[in-house]
Amino acid sequence: MPIPVIMPKFEMSQETGQIISWYKKDGDLVKKGEAMFSVETDKVTMDVESPGDGVLAGITAKEGETVPVTTVIAYLLGQGESLPTAESASEAQPPENVSTPVEQPKSAAISSGSATPVAQRMAAANALDLTSVTGTGLNQTITKADVEAALAQRGNDEGKVRATPAARRIAREEGVVLDEVPGSGPRGRVQEDDVQKFLSTTSQRSAQVLPPQAAILSSTPDYDIVPLKGMRRTIADRMVSSYQSAPHIMFTMSVDGTSLEGLRKRMNEQAVKRGEEKISMTALLTRAVAWTLLRHSRLNSTLNGDEIRQYKTANIGVAVALNDGLIVPVVRNVEKKGVSQIAAEINDMAKRARESKLTPSDVSGGTFTISNLGPFGIEQFTAILNGGQAGILAVGAVQKEVVVVDDEMVIRPIMRMTLSADHRTVDGAVAAQFMADLRSVLENPDLLLY
Amino acid sequence: MSGREITYLEAIREALRQEMQRDERVFLIGEDIGIYGGAFGVTMGLMQEFGEDRVIDSPISELGIAGAITGAALTGMRPVGEIMFMDFITLASEQLVNQAAKIRFMFGGKATVPLVMRTPMGSGTGAAEQHSQSLENWFVHVPGIKVVAPSTPAEAKGLLIESIRDDNPVLFLEAKLLYKTKGEVPEEPFTIPLGKADIKREGRDLTIITYSVMVKRALEAADQLAQEGIDVEVIDLRTLKPLDKETIIASVKKTGKALILHEAAKTGGFGGELAGVIAESEAFDYLDAPIVRLAGRDMPVPYNRTLEYNTVPQVENIVESARKMARREV
Amino acid sequence: MSTNVQPYEPLSEKRRKELIKSLSKEELLDSLQKMWKIRAFEEKAEELYMLGKIHGTMHLSIGMEASAMGSILPLRQDDLILSTHRGHGHCIAKNADMKLMMAEFLGKECGYCRGRGGSMHIADVEGGNLGANGVVAGGIPMAVGVGLGFKLQKTDKVIVCFFGDGAANEGAFHEALNMAAIYDLPVVFVCENNQYGMSGSFKRMFRIPRISDRASAYGFPGVTVDGNDVLAVYDAVNAAVDRARNQRIPTLVENVTYRWRGHSKSDANRYRTKEEIEEWKTKDPNVRFASWLVEAKVISSDEAEQIRKSAYAEIDAAAEFAEGCAEPALESIEEGVYA
Repeated sequence: MPIPVIMPKFEMSQETGQIISWYKKDGDLVKKGEAMFSVETDKVTMDVESPGDGVLAGITAKEGETVPVTTVIAYLLGQGESLPTAESASEAQPPENVSTPVEQPKSAAISSGSATPVAQRMAAANALDLTSVTGTGLNQTITKADVEAALAQRGNDEGKVRATPAARRIAREEGVVLDEVPGSGPRGRVQEDDVQKFLSTTSQRSAQVLPPQAAILSSTPDYDIVPLKGMRRTIADRMVSSYQSAPHIMFTMSVDGTSLEGLRKRMNEQAVKRGEEKISMTALLTRAVAWTLLRHSRLNSTLNGDEIRQYKTANIGVAVALNDGLIVPVVRNVEKKGVSQIAAEINDMAKRARESKLTPSDVSGGTFTISNLGPFGIEQFTAILNGGQAGILAVGAVQKEVVVVDDEMVIRPIMRMTLSADHRTVDGAVAAQFMADLRSVLENPDLLLY
Repeated sequence: MSGREITYLEAIREALRQEMQRDERVFLIGEDIGIYGGAFGVTMGLMQEFGEDRVIDSPISELGIAGAITGAALTGMRPVGEIMFMDFITLASEQLVNQAAKIRFMFGGKATVPLVMRTPMGSGTGAAEQHSQSLENWFVHVPGIKVVAPSTPAEAKGLLIESIRDDNPVLFLEAKLLYKTKGEVPEEPFTIPLGKADIKREGRDLTIITYSVMVKRALEAADQLAQEGIDVEVIDLRTLKPLDKETIIASVKKTGKALILHEAAKTGGFGGELAGVIAESEAFDYLDAPIVRLAGRDMPVPYNRTLEYNTVPQVENIVESARKMARREV
Repeated sequence: MSTNVQPYEPLSEKRRKELIKSLSKEELLDSLQKMWKIRAFEEKAEELYMLGKIHGTMHLSIGMEASAMGSILPLRQDDLILSTHRGHGHCIAKNADMKLMMAEFLGKECGYCRGRGGSMHIADVEGGNLGANGVVAGGIPMAVGVGLGFKLQKTDKVIVCFFGDGAANEGAFHEALNMAAIYDLPVVFVCENNQYGMSGSFKRMFRIPRISDRASAYGFPGVTVDGNDVLAVYDAVNAAVDRARNQRIPTLVENVTYRWRGHSKSDANRYRTKEEIEEWKTKDPNVRFASWLVEAKVISSDEAEQIRKSAYAEIDAAAEFAEGCAEPALESIEEGVYA
């Protein structure tokens, strides 16, 4: 029997995947487990492994093409086998060997036209007949957006998510959007377990190392062409969307880093003594920011439609530079962690980011972002808000400067940081107070014990 | 632990006897409690020990009994009245509700009414419609009266002694079906505080909140459910008012599932109050299933044995209900 | 006298003189003064109510002063009473402070019940008044309990339990009278038969000529007297108190009297005639008593008038005091529900 090769699904809300590059070509002999092609999603790049042994044949999706998840895009043929005829472009059963997320999609009533699994699940949970829905996806596939639109039109409040109070609490605390969580309870109700599963979801499939630079597709005498695809494309789209939808206001402040540097020195003495990782300025900053965020919850919020979600915990994303790209892994519940743990987590995630080993849950659920270009010698800069968050802090280098203290000129290590805030939800005074408090705690880090 | 086992009924008798020995202000009044020893035998032997003056046989005058204990309490006595079947408390209600419950408050806190009214409630003995009711929620609803409902012999003794020593009107609810059950009871006088529930069985998956005759059934159901891997926590309220909200809330926060269980008819029953307490509390955020009430059917208790059996929750009903909740089928 | 109750024996003049002689001048004057205080209090309460200063409703006992005073005069300080919704008179006769009563009617914190009880539930537990009662016959079963308490405590205290003609038809009345009899309790049941429940006349609601006849149904003596003759009432209740205290036998004393005002403030008196009311006003118990005392030369008519005036003066002062008192604090709203 020919083994179907499908476009796999890595995240619950993922509807399509874009093929970045094929490692094998038509006619190649492939062994089970070998990487066949790489796929780009909104958040990460993953390699897809072969589900079995066979000769690769019948490839229907090219590099750069975006395909709905679970679509069959090739086959592995055994000896003497030939390609199946009269196959449809719709989804087949994923072979068990290909890792897919643990959740079982609920089946829905589908007659003609296909629907993405997310759409199917939503429809089933809301008792929506898919035959009544027009698909706007590839090949008229019904997408989640289509189902949402149909539900909204249906005009009842079934558009709201059914979820138990316990599920809602965990979702709130962890910054999970409930619409994305499949519900296993009656009438599609999201239970606490469902949220827990979602958080630890998606198999920990590691991707392989990304090519060192985005591949240059072609060259002309005057310029090289780098295709705007994959992560580059995602970043481009996101930046535009954020900049255009959120009116940014910027606040710069200088901080006297004397106490902070002293603290860091002492902490690193501890770290060395204990053989633990050294504490970076970023880790300290992250902790201080968390302290401040919990006292200024408007800065620790996201805007979703017409809901400002003020989170009760600080999940702070720390921007990590990649070759031709940037990724923001999230340290969760920062206010509950010591600096040592934060530093360890940041280091670990940065490492995995560079190795393209981050998972979707590593990069989701952030409530605020910090970007530190200090190590590059930048004095100050402004950053663009990340993913609907109300604030992002751009931190510059610590430099010795002459400042006036008690009418005397002294030399102090000064750090400039710039907060960009979403003026739809954050006003000047609110941002100013946040910054003032941040400076207080950075210049008097004992306050962290408060 | 003394290791001595006596019945629920004997434990109540012992409580009465020990308190009457200790405090000469305590006396009993009720129908046929003297030489007859009480309709269920609770007061057997007490008249012989304490005399007719302190173990008073009353005429068939429930209102008179209730008024007598109220008036006596106002003179500083600590009377314990008995209504033979809770169904007849309807006749005594005027004095309990309009007088005893209200006098202290009406008089600006300047009077004290330390009385106890004991009465057996519940079905299961074939006594049918007018001798089988559980009307505890009526009196929970009256401010000024405390309501107690023990489930084991030891607790019956400890709670009754405490009720007699309490300076408020206390309605002490005995369950007919529990009279003959046995348990270890300390020989010396002891008290159990009112307003404190008891966790009879700890568990992680689901909380059953119950009292009186249903406690035993809940525990049996829990044993069965344990075999299916469902770990049930059983809370015995012991006092209905004042209610131990803390224990309830902590448990529901832990398990996320609350099953409220009582014999009395469901509609307007005490279970509604408990559900409201849970829903209004911080336990709300931890609920992973709707709050479920398992209670008696909304009908009078019939005579036929099978029908009577099926009128109130039994072990198998409790198991089924809890299982559905645990499996998220509710 | 148009009354529906069968004629009872009026007090003979001889007996009246004996009674006056048997009481000290202080007791007599005190009684007269109290009866005027009751009248003055009721009239003032009515005035304040009509001025909108008293909330709720009230049940006035104008015209029934002799029944209250005559029933309480025989009591010792440590004897107790249980009263009715029409109990202001009982309260005053039992030595209550009119300032604190007024304060209670105005709902003030310093009132007898801290403003929580009002007219219908006024009580002075320390002073021996176990309370007015908003439920007809509500106090009668409690009287049995009080009697039981006294008996078990082995004291010789007595409980006088007031109720009206309407209460004699409540089940509680029957259960309680029976229990008082079988337990040999020191209870005196005083029925103030003012001949109307609310609108239900004695004639319509009873098939018997006298309520006191019901005592024999329970096995103890009953007697009916002129409830507007304070000495007649005293005579009957005194004997009953003595019987209760020393023999532990209850008595049912029926005081036939009349209330000048309607049942409560919202009574339009449609169930009786103006003529009837006027007729009974000529039998004013206070005026009668004063005239006997003057006749017996216990006091002069000037002195009698003085006593009357001073009662009104006192109640004016009490009302003023009460109006100056503080309201209960909102923070204390739930106090007193439980001990």
